[in-house]
Amino acid sequence: MSQVYFEDVEPGYEVGPVVKNPTREQLDAFTTVWGSQTGRFTSDEAAQKEGFSGVILPGNMSMALLAQVITDWAGSAGKLKRLECDFRRYVQPGDTLNCVGLVTDTETEGDESRVIMDVYIENQRGERALQGTALVLLPNKP
Amino acid sequence: MAEQNLTDTIDFDRSVLGVDYDVGTIEVSKEKIIAYAKALGETNPLYLDEEAAKAGPYGVIIAPPLFYNMFSLEAGPDPKVNFGTSGFDGGQHVEFFEPIKAGDTIFAKTQIADVYAKTGRTGTMVFTVRRTTFTNQDGEQNIVMDRINVRRDLSQ
Repeated sequence: MSQVYFEDVEPGYEVGPVVKNPTREQLDAFTTVWGSQTGRFTSDEAAQKEGFSGVILPGNMSMALLAQVITDWAGSAGKLKRLECDFRRYVQPGDTLNCVGLVTDTETEGDESRVIMDVYIENQRGERALQGTALVLLPNKP
Repeated sequence: MAEQNLTDTIDFDRSVLGVDYDVGTIEVSKEKIIAYAKALGETNPLYLDEEAAKAGPYGVIIAPPLFYNMFSLEAGPDPKVNFGTSGFDGGQHVEFFEPIKAGDTIFAKTQIADVYAKTGRTGTMVFTVRRTTFTNQDGEQNIVMDRINVRRDLSQ
């Protein structure tokens, strides 16, 4: 994978959209690693009792998928330094998630080259499920 | 009403504000990191492949950034927020330092960093900010994570 450099990026630069389609199998694997027994993540019946049509994803799973898009883009020499996400709408297996990073600013502070971006996940209905900001450190061009 | 004045009216236990509680010690196994990375469809060999990780900058498998969510921790301090009829997970604000690595022993501490109220179009909501700090066996800080719980009154 090619490395993105600080000099390649300016406000308006867009990461993605990268489409993620979380499956029920993925959700089950995630809750198994977690050891979560929270009904709305593991049982359709329990989720329906809470008013959902079926199981939903934990917010931290959707956030991890969004983080993955950013870290895959930042490459092995980049670093995710900060990620702030607000959980706005629930996500379910089978949803189509457009994961986006939109650069709003760049700055150099000491020896750090920083990229500041708005990040969000939009579902197939065009609703923001997660929304927030990220700070990514990128290497300078050699 | 100004937000601060509104917050002053919220009934909660102010004595726990800013006080750190030990909430767990976690031994990080490479098997759990790999299983987590696979569940998320990660492709980075530093998370998945011991040989590749050996040749990488850390010499061992490292965890994807949000792996700390898989730790089972004690509940920690309870500010006993007396407001509303239901709560939900409002989000996380996270800062990353040293990566969490296979074989690490991680110490977790949690404090109630803030409790505040806001009034929006759906009425008043009370936000509790629970700040957990993860530190490894060498005293290096890994992560500072604010988890935001929101309570609201659906009976209004």
